[in-house]
Amino acid sequence: MLMVAASQQPLPCPVQYHHLQGAKRVVEIVERYDAECVPDAYKSNKVAYIKNGSISKNCTKLLKVDKLMKAPIYIYYQLDNYYQNHRRYVKSRSDKQLLDGLQNNDTSSCKPEESNGGLPVVPCGLVAWSLFNDSYIFTRGAVPLKVNRKNIAWKSDRDHKFGKRVYPFNFQNGSLIGGGKLDPHIPLSDQEDLIVWMRTAALPSFRKLYGRIEEDLHPSDLITVNLTNNYNTYSFGGAKKLVLSTSSWLGGKNDFLGVFYIFVGSSCIFISLVFLLLHLKDSRPCGDATFSYWNRKNVSL
Amino acid sequence: MSGWERVQSSKVRFGGRHSPLGGDERASTRTVRLGRVQPQAPTHRTIYCNDREANLPVRFKGNSISTTKYNVITFLPKGLFEQFRRVANLYFLMISILSATPFSPVSPITNMVPLSLVLLVSLCKEAYEDWKRFQNDMSINNTLVEVLQDNRWVNMPWKKLQVGDIIKVKQDECFPADLLFLASTNADGVCYIETSNLDGETNLKIRKALERTWDYSTAEKAVEFKGEVQCEQPNNSLYTFTGNLIFQKQTLPLSPNQLLLRGCSLRNTEYIVGAVIFTGHETKVMMNAMNVPSKRSTLERKLDKLILTLLGTLFFMCFIGAIGSGVFINSKYWYLGLSKGVEAQFNPNNRIVVAAATILTLITLFSTIIPISLYVSIEMIKVFQSTQFINKDLHMYHVETNTPALARTSNLNEELGQIEYIFSDKTGTLTRNMMEFFKCSIGGEVYGTGMTEIEMGSAERTGAKVEGGKSANAVHEKGFNFDDDRLMRGAWRNEPNPDACKEFFRCLAICHTVLPEGDESPEKIKYQAASPDEAALVTAAKNFGFFFYRRTPTMIYVRESHVEKMGKIQDVTYEILNVLEFNSTRKRQSVVCRYPDGRLVLYCKGADTVIYERLTEGHGHIKKITREHLEQFGSAGLRTLCLAYRDLSPAVYESWNEKFIQAKSSLRDREKKLDEVAEIIEKELVLIGATAIEDKLQEGVPTCIETLSRAGIKIWVLTGDKMETAINIAYACRLISNEMKQFIISSETDVIREVEERGDQVELARVMKEEVKKDLKNCLEEAQQYFRTVSGPKLTLVIDGKCLMYALDPSLRVMLLNLSLNCTSVVCCRVSPLQKAQVTSLVKKGARKITLSIGDGANDVSMIQAAHVGVGISGLEGMQAVMASDFAIAQFRFLSDLLLVHGRWSYLRICKVVTYFFYKNLTFTLTQFWFTFQTGFSGQRFYDDWFQSLYNVMFTSLPVIIYGLLEKDVSASLSKKYPQLYMEGIRNSFFRWRVVAAWAFSAIYQSLIFYHFVTTSSLTGQNSSGRTFGLWDVSTVAFTCVVVTVNLRLLMMCNSITRWHYVSVGGSILAWFVFVFVYSLIRENILYVIYVVMSTFYFYLAFLLVPTVALLLDFIRQGVQRWFFPYDYQIVQEIHRHEPDDNTRAGALEISNHLTADEARSFAISQLPRETSRHTGFAFDSPGYESFFASQQGVYAPQKAWDVVRRASMRSKLKAPPLPPKK
Repeated sequence: MLMVAASQQPLPCPVQYHHLQGAKRVVEIVERYDAECVPDAYKSNKVAYIKNGSISKNCTKLLKVDKLMKAPIYIYYQLDNYYQNHRRYVKSRSDKQLLDGLQNNDTSSCKPEESNGGLPVVPCGLVAWSLFNDSYIFTRGAVPLKVNRKNIAWKSDRDHKFGKRVYPFNFQNGSLIGGGKLDPHIPLSDQEDLIVWMRTAALPSFRKLYGRIEEDLHPSDLITVNLTNNYNTYSFGGAKKLVLSTSSWLGGKNDFLGVFYIFVGSSCIFISLVFLLLHLKDSRPCGDATFSYWNRKNVSL
Repeated sequence: MSGWERVQSSKVRFGGRHSPLGGDERASTRTVRLGRVQPQAPTHRTIYCNDREANLPVRFKGNSISTTKYNVITFLPKGLFEQFRRVANLYFLMISILSATPFSPVSPITNMVPLSLVLLVSLCKEAYEDWKRFQNDMSINNTLVEVLQDNRWVNMPWKKLQVGDIIKVKQDECFPADLLFLASTNADGVCYIETSNLDGETNLKIRKALERTWDYSTAEKAVEFKGEVQCEQPNNSLYTFTGNLIFQKQTLPLSPNQLLLRGCSLRNTEYIVGAVIFTGHETKVMMNAMNVPSKRSTLERKLDKLILTLLGTLFFMCFIGAIGSGVFINSKYWYLGLSKGVEAQFNPNNRIVVAAATILTLITLFSTIIPISLYVSIEMIKVFQSTQFINKDLHMYHVETNTPALARTSNLNEELGQIEYIFSDKTGTLTRNMMEFFKCSIGGEVYGTGMTEIEMGSAERTGAKVEGGKSANAVHEKGFNFDDDRLMRGAWRNEPNPDACKEFFRCLAICHTVLPEGDESPEKIKYQAASPDEAALVTAAKNFGFFFYRRTPTMIYVRESHVEKMGKIQDVTYEILNVLEFNSTRKRQSVVCRYPDGRLVLYCKGADTVIYERLTEGHGHIKKITREHLEQFGSAGLRTLCLAYRDLSPAVYESWNEKFIQAKSSLRDREKKLDEVAEIIEKELVLIGATAIEDKLQEGVPTCIETLSRAGIKIWVLTGDKMETAINIAYACRLISNEMKQFIISSETDVIREVEERGDQVELARVMKEEVKKDLKNCLEEAQQYFRTVSGPKLTLVIDGKCLMYALDPSLRVMLLNLSLNCTSVVCCRVSPLQKAQVTSLVKKGARKITLSIGDGANDVSMIQAAHVGVGISGLEGMQAVMASDFAIAQFRFLSDLLLVHGRWSYLRICKVVTYFFYKNLTFTLTQFWFTFQTGFSGQRFYDDWFQSLYNVMFTSLPVIIYGLLEKDVSASLSKKYPQLYMEGIRNSFFRWRVVAAWAFSAIYQSLIFYHFVTTSSLTGQNSSGRTFGLWDVSTVAFTCVVVTVNLRLLMMCNSITRWHYVSVGGSILAWFVFVFVYSLIRENILYVIYVVMSTFYFYLAFLLVPTVALLLDFIRQGVQRWFFPYDYQIVQEIHRHEPDDNTRAGALEISNHLTADEARSFAISQLPRETSRHTGFAFDSPGYESFFASQQGVYAPQKAWDVVRRASMRSKLKAPPLPPKK
């Protein structure tokens, strides 16, 4: 039994430690900007602000780097309380149309954003229609930081899910504009923002990759972010955050996995020690029939 | 009636038909014929033999039969209907329909696929079975039989036969319909039939045609036969028939003796001619075809409760989700497009509708909480268990009779593991039913020096010395084990009363219904008898020098030795004038015979009680001594019969015979009238003596009973025998020992006898009831006193049938139950078959304990049917018990294997399988449920449709089936070595709510781990390229974890792991990966998902960590459980931990070394598919069972020992009669 208990130790401790260290080395800066980027005059009515196209949506944030961040530094936007996994939302797309464009006329799944003026919207559906459209420009000191926005989507999506000859020619032309617009001259397979956005998130809080900064950021660097605060999260009380994060072989800053590993490992050790103690104390001799039910209860036959 | 037949019948009409009927009768028949609409009188039918035209208006049914359930057109609708009568299937049908509506979060495929797979499997099985039935029907319907047409015999298939046809059946052929026996090639109009298809009895029975019809055995003669048969309407009573043959202006009474039933076959007779009276489905055999209400196991009923609980949980979950969705939905979530023209199910302005629609959505989403494949899997497991394990267990294979065990139903395997009460018949079950003439008492003198095992046992108990050994010249053959030189080889002539001896031997040789078979020499002759007792008695007569060697319907031939002087042998024929048959109410049998010298004697043999009542006055001395002898025999465990005779004067006989004939030809209440008439002549008898027949204990019975009682099973013996015999058998079986406190409730007390003698029945009943009540009360008080003290003696109750009748009265029933449940063993003697069933259902319903009845004879059928599990002994006394049973074994001692090994394993397996199914589906569904909370209660599915639908049927189904087949906690030999392990089943340790709750807790824990672990870690980028996961990536990871964990969890609960476990568990996990690799290349929404996921390290870490964490809790729980609260089987495992598993093929056939090559070969042969009878497609039900229910509804139906026939299924035919020759 002791052996069994000990074998619960899933992995040698060093792996767990290494894992935790890997997660620790990842540096992450998270900055919520949606509330602060609303002008004071609109603080009480943020929805009016975001819906008013005449007000400039530009906003500037300052980010301070605490630790050395090695390139590549990934830029994410994070949305909270945003139900990309709502049933109505998830199914409101047409994967066939994304790949084949107008050749595929059946856009019934895209309700309520399926067509515009008799022609199917390309790309159709709520998911595309609500495309995130805030943008960020980074400068360090006075020097602009170059942001690489290529290659942010999974390769398989670009190659197999979004058509190379499908152009968003009538996107966001309808009466109700949802989110961002797309350049009608670029095929969907190159619209990486859209591709990233359309890999719908599992939870109502999610991060999506925006781009990469391919230079190291040093401690005490001051980064200015000029952002356009276009996307409406005010209606439903959501939050928008900007995230800068480095990455390890395990991905982003994810203490959870490492802590969990340590916890499980140590509890295994603890349990095996408990069992060892029990074994030494020998509370129940192995195979002693006096502990059987028929002896304990003195069952009359 | 087909056109062809019309032509044929009109041909007959024109072909010189002349009516033998007189003008009046003819006119009356004409009206019937012309009226056409005139219905048959409901009480009888009139058949015109050899006249198809005349029978036409009545539209008798044809002779073709169909036992199929479906035909080509009805198969699909009817088969589906049958399937959807199962609640689980109906549930999934409704879910499937729901999932085709827009409310559904999943595509209809999700639920359709598993449902149609399950239905397909079930329908294929049904179709195959029905096809086999159809083929069987066809071959029966197309069998040829010779029918009289145009003055000659014409071959015609059975299905073309019509009522009234005259047909010819040759030797060894089966009768195609119920026939009126007209003539046979045997001189005196008799024929011999074998009824093994009906009742399994292989002895031949005689049927005798009416003397007036004997001549019509050729085609030429038969054409002239124009009789009119008036008989009862078709009914299902196999052994009664009343009717009249109106023939040549005479009315001749018909009895069952002239009836040849479909399903029987002709033996020892060249051919017979008969008239068809009942055809096809109206034959008595087919009228008996009823489907036996199938028994369901207790576990399965408990499973229903579990399913209901799950349904409740499902609705609760949906309800929560519905409220949540009603609250959540809001047009402020602009990206959901809820503002313009939104469907009702998402319309924020009507939250009630949203909630209602969400309920429907969630029901489809969470439908997996009910495991769809559960019932199919359990069924498969059970069928495999019964066909492969129980039927093939060599430990339950009886070499001498070449009989393996037979599970006639697979429904009750696990019930065998929970039996707490066994009700056992005595004769043939505990004892061998090999009757041997052992002792006798003639004229007040005891003969026979042998000692029974019981006597030896009691002698040992009292400490006396047992002198063994027999005299060298003791004769021992089957049925005769008698040793006393005073009677052998004519020595009886020198005894004090040689005349009594002579009467005694003649009574043995004449008063019986035995049929001799084979050569007419003492060595080679075989006696066919209804009961082995009779055969033993006739054999005894043979050995005493009165050799009965031939029987004709009117004569008995006896070769008598030493009668007139020593050494002289002469053949004597006795004319048998009347036979008053044995039945359970009369308890006696008489024969009136005429000696060659004209002496008229009535010989009677029967139970002591009934014979003593009818003895003539005087002879007090002999009566007293014989009674003492009877008691002596009884206490030695011997079965006794009293023999008596009466000399009749011709005048007395003649006047009686008239009454007898009258009674015999009466149409109504014939049986009752016959009994009354018999009563008139069976009186003033002169006692000759008594016989004692030994009934040997079966092999290994005492050991088996001891083992079973150590397993916590209480054994009750229910027997029709005398109290003394019953108690003695109970001693011999170690059911009762001297250390036990016996409570005896008997009707043989002075008080009762006194009242009995007064003869007032009402008074008697009142006194009896009072007495029984008093006894019960006293016993109960005493029993409770003993029960309170710790070391009190074990208790045992002996009660006889008469007292039981009153004790089973509703007012006393509770007291009886309380008393008997406190006793470790109970013996009920002198009980009727009905009482056996009543006692069984008393414990079954009153105490809610799981009961098993075991018996071998027709009188046990009602008991077998009444208990939870019925076990039949496939032995000597016919097949009725086996036909009624759920399991058939050859020997009582196999019960320990059946219960302690197979029953225990089946119980364990089914329990674990059910709880595991429950766990795996709950775990899976709960992950969905947790996800619902984070999707705004929208009912978005977490997993892809196909993941969900294949989860149950592909990724997790096989291992659990393998587990259900092969799980074995301790080996078979240990199961029997530690019978105490069986108590876990009686206590239902493995399927109680506590166990289910533990599994449910585990499921909740694991689902939380899966869901939260996977989703929490999915926020950030998942590899060094910083890209994030979407919904389908996360759910694929989660699903992988679920599949892996659930399959590993199965391995954790295995006590024995074979390579099949590894193969199935590994295979299931592999199947998932293979599936997802292929599937994610095809399906749009999860395109390349698995490749994306597997390109990250994250996946592999989660893959290792999540199942570990999920299983950790179970691991700890199992460890703690084994450490601190071990199950009994775990202790036994530990005791024998160093012994290698004696059987690597867990649970499979244990081929033991004790079988010799020959035995093994004969076993192998017994396992071969048997030649099946043409009549196995017929289905019989037990009329004997009717009386049980009838009596419960207050209707009295007399129970007849032989009135019990049941469906002979294909498999149960142990001795297939030869097929009729094909032409």
